[in-house]
Amino acid sequence: MTDAVMGELVPYRSPRAHADRTSRLGMVIFLASWAMLFAALFFVYGMIRARADVWPPAGAPRLPIALPALATVVLASSSAALVRSLALLERGRVRSASLALGAALVLGTVFLVVQTTVWRSVHAAGLEPATGPYGSAFYSLTGLHAAHVVVGLVALAALVIGALRGSYGPARLLPIRLWAMYWHFVGVVWLLLYVTVYLV
Amino acid sequence: MSAESYLASPRGVRSWLLTTDHKRIAILYLVSVTLFFFLGSAFAVAIRLELLTPAGDAVQADTYGRLFTMHGVVMIFFFLIPAIPTVLGNFLVPMMIGARDLAFPRLNLLSWYVYVLGASISLWAIVHGGVDTGWTFYTPFSTTYSNGAVVTTGIGVFITGFSSILTGLNFIVTIHRMRAPGLGWYRLPLFIWAHYATSLMMVLGTPVIAMTLLLVVAERALGLGIFDPARGGDPILFQHLFWFYSHPAVYIMVLPAMGVISELVTAFAKKNIFGYRFVAWASIAIAVLGFFVWGHHMFVSGQSAYAGMVFSALSFLVAVPSAIKVFNWTATLYRGSVSFRTPMLYAFGFIGLFTIGGLTGLFLSALGLDVHVHDTYFVVAHFHYIMVGGTIMAFLGGLHYWWPKISGSSYPEGWARFSALVIFVGFNLTFFPQFLLGYLGMPRRYHAYPPELQVLNVMSSAGASILGVGYLIPMVYLFWSMRYGARVAANPWGASGLEWTTPSPPPTCNFETTPVVTQDPYTYSSEEAQVVG
Ligand SMILES: [Cu+2]
Repeated sequence: MTDAVMGELVPYRSPRAHADRTSRLGMVIFLASWAMLFAALFFVYGMIRARADVWPPAGAPRLPIALPALATVVLASSSAALVRSLALLERGRVRSASLALGAALVLGTVFLVVQTTVWRSVHAAGLEPATGPYGSAFYSLTGLHAAHVVVGLVALAALVIGALRGSYGPARLLPIRLWAMYWHFVGVVWLLLYVTVYLV
Repeated sequence: MSAESYLASPRGVRSWLLTTDHKRIAILYLVSVTLFFFLGSAFAVAIRLELLTPAGDAVQADTYGRLFTMHGVVMIFFFLIPAIPTVLGNFLVPMMIGARDLAFPRLNLLSWYVYVLGASISLWAIVHGGVDTGWTFYTPFSTTYSNGAVVTTGIGVFITGFSSILTGLNFIVTIHRMRAPGLGWYRLPLFIWAHYATSLMMVLGTPVIAMTLLLVVAERALGLGIFDPARGGDPILFQHLFWFYSHPAVYIMVLPAMGVISELVTAFAKKNIFGYRFVAWASIAIAVLGFFVWGHHMFVSGQSAYAGMVFSALSFLVAVPSAIKVFNWTATLYRGSVSFRTPMLYAFGFIGLFTIGGLTGLFLSALGLDVHVHDTYFVVAHFHYIMVGGTIMAFLGGLHYWWPKISGSSYPEGWARFSALVIFVGFNLTFFPQFLLGYLGMPRRYHAYPPELQVLNVMSSAGASILGVGYLIPMVYLFWSMRYGARVAANPWGASGLEWTTPSPPPTCNFETTPVVTQDPYTYSSEEAQVVG
């Protein structure tokens, strides 16, 4: 028999700080898992590239560099706006925090517009999803990333509405913090994507 | 002031389907994985019936292809991978660390619904003709030529993967954040270490198979061209991605089983585990090394000779932590007061059969020998020794060991020992001849074979029917015992571990007060604790 259990009374409900850290750890693990989702696609892209004799493959157009660079800047500013929003919220400046949150939302939407423009120009230049491995990998990677941007934008929109209604403050900013982690993750994936697909 | 048991209240189907109690979710999973186990077994019965005679007579070649595919898909994705973590893990992880529940109880319920959704979609695919690709979905057959329901099945497996990810995530966070005061990492039961290592693999490996299946589905449905050589794609790339998950998946199936065995061996030898830290870290080592050996499935697929050598060497290396565990369990038994109760019989079964499965795995990681026995029944026998002889033995052993805790009643010991024996005999009769068949060159996945191989095949089919009976008996008496079995006290085995300090079945809150841990695990006697601790 074990006598590991002492009759000491410790309350079950953990304090909020404990619960918040638990949720944040959950988000970290979740994002690590999601990183593997993208890692699989990056691996696919890398293998296709390693096997190709010329790059881009014969018949495939050269990808633009400037427009995706603009997209990178836009998405980075969106992340920065979110950081700013959290800092303001911690100091109780709910009004300005909501504005910064709105800015993050607008910048994220601009990113999608730029991304769509890139797709259109690349598609017009003759790269189709079903023409071969290169096109398939390009559209899968950028498409999966864009889907994550859309999910983030929906969440940001909900957060903006909540912030305007005064749902968040210094004592309650966990949802914003968690979505900010997600949003930074989407930004980092984009940076890697930009470097591997457009630059190198 | 003892609270009501988790089984008794609240009542009603609704309270079960909307529960966030980890113990009830474990029961939901138990019911669902058992259903899929018997569904998968039904396919196995059909396979063994066909192989009773050399001629392909009972079913068409095409039907046979669907039978073994559905057997593999159902058993691997809907039974073996979830079985121990979602049933025993769900029930025990919070109890063993003195917590009220998992870190994210609603996520836990969600993971069950995701599992049910994914499994139902695949079930729908079975009803609508099934799949004939093998559980491995190899391209370009799966993307181009197969006329089975690849898309539906793929989506079903894809969805089920997220249930696995959510469960793993929940376990990792729970083990980090919810341990009772005083419960340091080296005081955790080895079951917890095993589940931690398993969760790491679930969280980091499953997304890769999810993405791979998504690409297969996209290739088949939307005409993407990543794997199909006709479109410039690379079918070997599929194999890399598939095995990057599916080799670790073997450890997702067997690591939790090893965790169960560590608990059984200590409880029934009444001894502390020999080399606690080695066993604990062996789990982590297996989880890490397991990610770097996938190429041993591709020795004959045309990967480079150097890649083959590296993967062969690494595969030998991953056997080391597994061997450490086997040696440590055996050393734990040494001079222990071993009692041969049913769970211990299963533990013995596991150790012996897993060792055979592991050693034949070394045959297969040897480059030259693998070329000879690749895609033969030798491979089939090898992984059934790991998955059936290993995982299912441990699952049944664990289920018997914790059944008094889960149900509050004891199972009939005589019947239980009898069925454990039937299962052991049936298992060996089914699968040992398959080693010989494989060595003699019988390829897997064919519904006809040369007449001189019939004797061994008949033995295998006979064994399968014994095995089937062996599995039905516990199903009946465990169900029976819930109503008619004798009620049990909190700790019927005299075992150590926090889960035994609370009533059987436990109240919904698990512990009336949060336990405070002041001891290392497996303290079965004080002298023992002094000697080893
Ligand atoms: Cu393997």
